[in-house]
Amino acid sequence: MKALRIVTDFLRGIGEATFFLLAIVAALPAALLRPRLVVQQLYMIGVLSLIIIVISGSFIGMVLALQGYRTLADFGAVSSLGVVVAFGVVRELGPVVTALLFAGRAGSALAAEIGLMKATDQLSGMEMMAVDPIQRVVAPRFLAGFIAMPLLASIFSLMAIGVAGGHLIGVSLLGVDEGAYWSQIHEKLHPHDIVESLIKSLVFGAAVNWIALYQGYHAAPTSEGVSRATTSTVVVSSLVVLALDFVLTSFMFR
Amino acid sequence: MTSTGQDVLVRVRDLRFAFGPRAIFDGIDIDIPRGKVTAIMGPSGTGKTTLLRLIGGQWRPQAGSIEFDGVDVHRQPRRKLFELRKRMGMLFQNGALLTDLSVFENVAFPLREHSGLPESMIRDVVLMKLEAVGLRGAAALYPEQISGGMARRVALARAIALEPAMVMYDEPFTGQDPISMGVLMRLIRTLNEALGLTSVIVSHDVEEVLSISDYAYVVSGGKVLDHGTPQAIRSSASEFVQQFLLGKPDGPVRFQYKAERSYAADLLDGAAA
Repeated sequence: MKALRIVTDFLRGIGEATFFLLAIVAALPAALLRPRLVVQQLYMIGVLSLIIIVISGSFIGMVLALQGYRTLADFGAVSSLGVVVAFGVVRELGPVVTALLFAGRAGSALAAEIGLMKATDQLSGMEMMAVDPIQRVVAPRFLAGFIAMPLLASIFSLMAIGVAGGHLIGVSLLGVDEGAYWSQIHEKLHPHDIVESLIKSLVFGAAVNWIALYQGYHAAPTSEGVSRATTSTVVVSSLVVLALDFVLTSFMFR
Repeated sequence: MTSTGQDVLVRVRDLRFAFGPRAIFDGIDIDIPRGKVTAIMGPSGTGKTTLLRLIGGQWRPQAGSIEFDGVDVHRQPRRKLFELRKRMGMLFQNGALLTDLSVFENVAFPLREHSGLPESMIRDVVLMKLEAVGLRGAAALYPEQISGGMARRVALARAIALEPAMVMYDEPFTGQDPISMGVLMRLIRTLNEALGLTSVIVSHDVEEVLSISDYAYVVSGGKVLDHGTPQAIRSSASEFVQQFLLGKPDGPVRFQYKAERSYAADLLDGAAA
């Protein structure tokens, strides 16, 4: 009986979340007509996430270069270090780690903000002022997150491959030839790798934003409810990002 | 009922509403007379706030109807419901101010969303509304910088920004110091007269709300227990109404919450364990 209830609750949640997403999509054209609201949210969601993305990207690039160098040195192929770092970052770690960090930084903040707005009757207040909260509050945040994610993932990848990341360890510290580092990346990394990376980050961005906004909007209007919404956002988003990454990689795998 | 025909702005008929198995309203009839201050009183948890949300169309009743100015609120498509809401202002218990906007921007919010007025005119209207509630000087402050009483006055300025036909007040006096309470009472009464509003006050602050109301309803247990002018309510024959008005700890509403088993049986169980 309890198992049946868990299943029906889960299915109802999926249904509610789907209708919520449809309502957001329907409100997107109106959000596009008010770019100021979207730009405001781009700052909150995107710009304020920059520091964590830049620092994480740099460290992951450095670790990849160290690990890659050790393996490549056994085969006398250290000149391929750049392409090893670039493949790892552009195809996988860039979009995935950025999405996980995005869920922890921006997703949790979105869920908490919307949840608190609900708990303090700000959303109800808007409805009573004949203002649709989905259109005024939710849609601009969704759109901003959708735009910010691929940009953040690109910055992450650039940091990981570039001067502060893999390049710093590989070229500046371990002495890999700089020309080989860049030319191999140029030769082996194809535009479709970058396009697929962007597709991944767009999908992850939409998923994390959807989950965060849904959790906040449907949070119980109590402090415990907001706390649960924030935690659920991070846990569910992380799992969904990893699962989606597997699905997308299977389709893109060549 | 209080009045009929054009004199009634909100007409509630045979309203039934439940949260799951718990019935909140079990077929109530309420008339809100146009141009008057009407109080809806009752103990906590009787659904007073729910009634306001039902009138505003935020929640749908399981049965019955609510008409606002002759229009059935719950039979309107979303767009028309939003048009109706522009004619209703609502003051939430905690003010429900948008915390990322200043006092000025909070009052300007409905004007920016709906009026299409030029910026200079919005500024004048906002300053006039803030002056009316005595907070023009606080225009630049943010909600976290003002007191609870001031927040309600800002919310009141925002509620009247679009010059609605009716303002609904949800527990406006709860948690207020005597001065804030006096200010709010005077504002509700004077704004009702000056702007030709209809006011609905949901409250359990008996003396305060009766002193500024033209008509009052006492609601409990999903029913309207009594209604009439404040004088009529004060001399109500209903035992419950008298217990409520005088704040008696025991009466039709028992001091002890109903228990499944007797007190002795509960204690003996504990001793046996």
